[in-house]
Amino acid sequence: MITLGSQGKNTFLEDVNVKSGANVLECYQCGKCVSTCPVSQYMDFPPREIMQMIKLGLRNECYMANSHWFCLTCSACSGRCPREIDIPAVMEAVRHLAIDQNYVNDSKKVKEIRKFHEIFLDMIKRYGRNYELRMMAEFNIRTRNLFKDMHLAPKALLKGKIPLGVKPLKSAKAIKRMFAIAEKLEKNK
Amino acid sequence: MKKLTYFPGCSAHGTSEEFDSTLKLVLKTLDVELEDIPDWNCCGATSAHVMTENLAYALPMRNLVLAEKLENTTMGIACASCYQRMKVTKVHMDENPELAKRINSTVVEEGTYQGKVDVKSMLQYFYEDIGVEPIREKVKKSLAGLKVACYYGCLLTRPKNITNFDSPEYPVSMDQICEALGATATEFDYKTECCGASFSISNTEVVLNLSGQVLAMAKESGAHAIVVACPLCQSNLDMRQPDIEKQQGVKYDIPVFYITQLMALAFGHPIDQLKFPKHIVPVEGALANIGKVAPVPEKVKKPIKAVEAESEAK
Repeated sequence: MITLGSQGKNTFLEDVNVKSGANVLECYQCGKCVSTCPVSQYMDFPPREIMQMIKLGLRNECYMANSHWFCLTCSACSGRCPREIDIPAVMEAVRHLAIDQNYVNDSKKVKEIRKFHEIFLDMIKRYGRNYELRMMAEFNIRTRNLFKDMHLAPKALLKGKIPLGVKPLKSAKAIKRMFAIAEKLEKNK
Repeated sequence: MKKLTYFPGCSAHGTSEEFDSTLKLVLKTLDVELEDIPDWNCCGATSAHVMTENLAYALPMRNLVLAEKLENTTMGIACASCYQRMKVTKVHMDENPELAKRINSTVVEEGTYQGKVDVKSMLQYFYEDIGVEPIREKVKKSLAGLKVACYYGCLLTRPKNITNFDSPEYPVSMDQICEALGATATEFDYKTECCGASFSISNTEVVLNLSGQVLAMAKESGAHAIVVACPLCQSNLDMRQPDIEKQQGVKYDIPVFYITQLMALAFGHPIDQLKFPKHIVPVEGALANIGKVAPVPEKVKKPIKAVEAESEAK
């Protein structure tokens, strides 16, 4: 495989390509992804720069960037990419690699985004389905921001917009087992 | 009578209960019988695929396997996010049997994945399996006078190679259904922009910004209301609207309907069954336009001769 910018083999590029199924080398840096991306203004490095950083083998910099945490997987970029690269899959590959290799971005925003996803998965593990009210409450407790969105609560609860309980699955055990096996699969990759 | 395997999704029992209940009214009128997937589980939504690859496929696969045990081979999904996860899983499993086998090892009791169930969003089901004309035929009370901005969000039509439905840039299926109900669909350029989706709780600032843009563009298009087919779009645009108004210093006052609420209304279902009181932004103002003759646009173009005369006078 042709590699750019680094001496020897660009293992990072290979890792991302294998994991995402995309070929990052096809990117010719036109920047259409950046102008399309609804959240590029919040990213440390917008998608175009991440693509180039992968080509240059800048593994640590990519892992530590907040970009892959801010990606909403809305697929607007890949729909308009003239090279038809699946950029959300590339972002996801970088994120999964960063998680697997225990990289932690400890900026407040990234911590909160990550915490939200962890709590959401925890709800599924426990109930088989999402328990919306509990998820919101746990998020506020675990991010130490007790009063977040509390101004919405009276209206939302009174109108029955957010129900108080959840009906757990009958086969809750099957879901717990699924989580256990999936976790093992993740480790043995 | 047609049959359809139904996946409601977690929010149908929560924040989007009105989507689920009005969908059932509409399908009754359209003579479709729903069969729930027994003991379905959460699809994992955004969080599963953000954090881990295996779980992101495993959770939807269990539902697909359960659906395969039912007689019918089409699964209709209310929530756009559930639809996306289920369809991604189906496409990737069908493409890659080795991956399917690995993921199937997490679904122990339910059985082997065979890939024989087709996955559709309810919007897609209405458009492709029911059709616009049969929907038009069921209309008892035309919505003429109501102008709507049809908002699809990111997940119903993108990515094209997964959804294989409508246009990823300027879809028209929901517009055509709304027009069949008698409403007018406005020219709305933000049809497929993202509302901020799963950042609703963890990164509200982004949602206020992105959903604010969608509201602004819908208002500019001249719409009285926004129509959606996604629970997350609805709650971001409706529940967060007062905060957006406060932040931007603008009053939008634009209600956000599920497509099924408008269909049920046009099909003549009693208004007290449409769950309008659940909306944060009141719907009465927008619905008052129904039956009114469309107003003459304010900016009527001056005849060319008048413009020429003006410039000569200068």
